[in-house]
Amino acid sequence: MVLSFFRKSPRGLEHAVSRAVGMLGDARHSFDLATLAFLTDTSAAAVDADIRATDERMNRTEIELRSELVVHISVQGTMDIGSVLGLILLINKIERIGDQAKNVLDLAEAGAGLANQPDSEALLAERAEISALFGEVADLMVEHDDGRFEALNQRCEQLQASHQAKIIGYLHSEEPGRAVVPRAIYYRYLNRIVANLVGIVRAASEPVALEPSSSVSDLDE
Amino acid sequence: MPTAVRAALVGALIYLFLVGVSSLEQGIKVMGQDTQEQLFSNVSNPIAGLCIGVLGTVLVQSSSASTSVIVGLVAAGAIDIDMAVPMIMGANIGTTVTNTLVSLGSARRSDEFRRAFATATVHDFFNVFAVAILLPIELLTGVLSNAAGWLSESLVGASGSEWKSPFKEWVKTPVGWIEDLESAIGLSGTALGVVMVATGLVLIIVSLGLITKNMRKLIADRVERSMNSVLSKGSGSIAMLLGMVITMLVQSSSITTSILIPMSAAGVLSIRNAYPVTLGANVGTTITALLAALASSSPDALTVALVHTLFNLSGIVILYVPRFVRGAPIYCAEWLARLAATRPVWAVAYVMGAFIMLPLVGFGLAR
Repeated sequence: MVLSFFRKSPRGLEHAVSRAVGMLGDARHSFDLATLAFLTDTSAAAVDADIRATDERMNRTEIELRSELVVHISVQGTMDIGSVLGLILLINKIERIGDQAKNVLDLAEAGAGLANQPDSEALLAERAEISALFGEVADLMVEHDDGRFEALNQRCEQLQASHQAKIIGYLHSEEPGRAVVPRAIYYRYLNRIVANLVGIVRAASEPVALEPSSSVSDLDE
Repeated sequence: MPTAVRAALVGALIYLFLVGVSSLEQGIKVMGQDTQEQLFSNVSNPIAGLCIGVLGTVLVQSSSASTSVIVGLVAAGAIDIDMAVPMIMGANIGTTVTNTLVSLGSARRSDEFRRAFATATVHDFFNVFAVAILLPIELLTGVLSNAAGWLSESLVGASGSEWKSPFKEWVKTPVGWIEDLESAIGLSGTALGVVMVATGLVLIIVSLGLITKNMRKLIADRVERSMNSVLSKGSGSIAMLLGMVITMLVQSSSITTSILIPMSAAGVLSIRNAYPVTLGANVGTTITALLAALASSSPDALTVALVHTLFNLSGIVILYVPRFVRGAPIYCAEWLARLAATRPVWAVAYVMGAFIMLPLVGFGLAR
């Protein structure tokens, strides 16, 4: 270990970013499994252990990353304070996505899943679209690109607007609660997941936002 | 600044540091025997020497600088090894003030402060305990100076002789320039000696400060990575080695130990993990005095530098290796930190008392 002192390796923050990207990969894994259990015949019990183990790993990584960031500031001084603040914010958001995936699993385990519905194909397509967003966010965490971020932000805003419209629709629906409540709750989670994905890229690029985002309330987070 | 340029700059600064030590030695020699005796007669008492070591180090905030000056004084023959050993031990105590001052930064947040202050003062308690045990033994038996003398003799020759230090040869010319320049403005005798000593002191303090600053930048990423390793899986001995390597490279134990304070305050580093890093820093910082001894042709200078190393190694053997005493400095530091966290004024009183008042009173009474 002492000899490793003299070996060259990535800078502290690069290492932290790569670990945060790994954490986002875990969050995507949880999301994929939980939504699969909610939208298809996949047994919720079969994915439960995997999702909970992934969640524990994410929580552990979050604690380790916070510790690494404290070490970074202690050793390097406050030059990187903006990036460190951004990383603390974004790992918090990734951890929340993991929790929201777990919430979707809880919904499936409660027997409120949406398997074999008339719109199953559309629901799965939407799930795939959000899953792909995780990859794009990971890319933008490593290499920020204003153009790509703007495009991603616009798509996410459209997705969120569509989720919100659906939620409002379900709230005013004449259909029985058994049919609309799981959908309303599911879309609420999707809405938060998408908001957190955008928040991750924003935290990486501008840790101290000058204008607070109006789309995410304290209660929602 | 590119890494290669910074590394070259550090090389040049080390050279400047050696010029400073040599200038100090030459200045003392120029002062003459009478002035030397007048200046240093007050530190013949070991307790007075110990107190001067503490005060001098607190003043310059660097044991590397103060021990290098002590080595320079021994090299010039201004003080002997017996006088220098307590001063070296005092320097070891004095250097701990820096991280204690850093810990005061979190005095408004009780829990953070308790953790930070405990980590800072564990260094103080270790050094005080080590001095309390080893100074009387040294005064009674001379065990440290004898062992260091034997090592020094094996390496460069017996006390009283002269050895041909290549470093001394390399710095001879610029020291000659300093002497010529100061003679050219009309200085001679004691005045010339005083100005040469002052020049040496400035060069030592400035060059050490710049070495530390540049080395810190050069190795910051590696230090960060290693600290993370220590936090995740490091054992005590690994942590100690790491503390030693970092301190040897940055030439400052204060940097190493001060890095630990915010980590402890934030709760990511426990006092038990920080303690061995601190002990490693204690050993690592002795490299500077050894380096300073290379700028001299006196084996006694090397002996004193080796006493510094042996003192810190012995402290670890006595106070860290046996498990039943390992917790003693930690226990005392935690007790003091609990007290200080309830009323931060105790922390200020401790710093003022232990590092300024007590050494001043001790010096006043013992000289």
